[in-house]
Amino acid sequence: MVEFKNTSFNYSKQSGVYDINLSINENEFCFLVGPTGSGKTSLLKLMYFDIIPSKGEVNILGFNSKKTKLRNVHKLRKKIGVIFQDYKLLQQRTVYENIALPLHINGLGRTKIKENVSEALELTDLTDFQSKYPHQLSGGEQQRVCIARAIVKNPEIILADEPTGNLDPTAAHKILKILEQINKEGTSVIMATHNYKLIAEKEYRIIELKNGRLISG
Amino acid sequence: MIDQFAFLISEGFKNFFRNKLASFLCIITIFINFSILGSLFVVGFNTNSLIDFFRSKYTFEIFLENETQPSTYEAFVEQLNTDKIISNVKLIDKEESAKIFEKEFGEDVVEMLGYNPLPISIKVFLSEKDFEFEKVNSLISTIENMDFVDEIEYRGKYIDQMEDRINLAIFIFLVFVVAIIFLSIQIISNTVKLSMSNRKDFINILKYNGASRFFIKTPFYIESILQSIFGGLLAFIFVKYCFVGFNSYFGLNVKLDEFLWIWIIGFSIFIGIYSANQSMKRNLNE
Repeated sequence: MVEFKNTSFNYSKQSGVYDINLSINENEFCFLVGPTGSGKTSLLKLMYFDIIPSKGEVNILGFNSKKTKLRNVHKLRKKIGVIFQDYKLLQQRTVYENIALPLHINGLGRTKIKENVSEALELTDLTDFQSKYPHQLSGGEQQRVCIARAIVKNPEIILADEPTGNLDPTAAHKILKILEQINKEGTSVIMATHNYKLIAEKEYRIIELKNGRLISG
Repeated sequence: MIDQFAFLISEGFKNFFRNKLASFLCIITIFINFSILGSLFVVGFNTNSLIDFFRSKYTFEIFLENETQPSTYEAFVEQLNTDKIISNVKLIDKEESAKIFEKEFGEDVVEMLGYNPLPISIKVFLSEKDFEFEKVNSLISTIENMDFVDEIEYRGKYIDQMEDRINLAIFIFLVFVVAIIFLSIQIISNTVKLSMSNRKDFINILKYNGASRFFIKTPFYIESILQSIFGGLLAFIFVKYCFVGFNSYFGLNVKLDEFLWIWIIGFSIFIGIYSANQSMKRNLNE
């Protein structure tokens, strides 16, 4: 499903990822851990082709980083749900409109959109918030909107970049629980985090990075 | 597909109203630039009418020797009528000359002198369409050398000089128009660019959710078209009523092209779309 082959990418001499060899299987849940600046976000960005390797290659869901043209990257992103630490929600749109956005992008009809959004709202426990605007919600609620937006299009893989980074422990546990539920329903989840406490009791695969290099996993 | 297209169109309209300040700035920029361009267009349109007016005055008059026989000048008139650069020829005989004299000076020359000293003349009207100064000059020098021709009255040189000056003015005017168009594109493009860079986050969110370039660009094009229509329409109303006001206040007869509104709005839409496209190229790293 995801394969890194001798992949390197560097922003400058001291930051980036170097010589990564890694495979992630279908339906897998794994944590990407490491201190700040270890290359977790870069590794995720390489997976949704926001950055392209300077050396080596990435194969994901049938797309190759070397062969995929820039104009076709959106086809890959339609199959991936991305969750950001800073939520990246549209402030002038309601919760419902934010969640429906990927479905409009995929060209779904109004009835199907309503159906899918209702399911996503239910899963993330946001049904009562659908007509509110993001600034009217707490951090945890906004992150749940971000998750709902990522899962609404039924992606094959979810990439979560520090989804609990700005949240209190209770909200963080709730987010993790939702992601586990999504994984149980058949979607692969790769979650970057440096919250070791949160994942301590979990038995999922842990991929560890340090200074842009793969330490274990 | 229809649902997606309807969504994109509604997004374009919503963005136009959501981003009120950016839309307002774009409309004002388009309005100012197209008011200047529209006014220049009206001035240019009326300069052509001025040239047409001067050209309609392209005539010369041939005065014949007193003893010229009717058969000679009648044949000459016929010969002139066949020339391509001449649109019309009018023979003014002695009687008609006397009438013109009386009309202009209030005296009957025959009664005053006892005979008619006025010469027979031929008034030649030149074709505006096939007019060329070289051809006219060559024709006049040929006629001047004819035995029965006494004198030719022609103000072509002055008209020629006048038209040269008008042409120079048109050239300067065109340079000015090109400069204004270039400036308009830059200013409108920068305004659109500014409004788009404010929404870079929005564009990124669309990109990360799998939006194609078409999906990202279409609402911006629609927004830009709406801004251009409003800006262009305001500019047209302003230009039209300015010249209507000038005409009635100064008693001028400045004509407005009946398709002026199409020119202004159409061109502002073109520049709006071009500017939006240029800005998006930068924002989408194309």
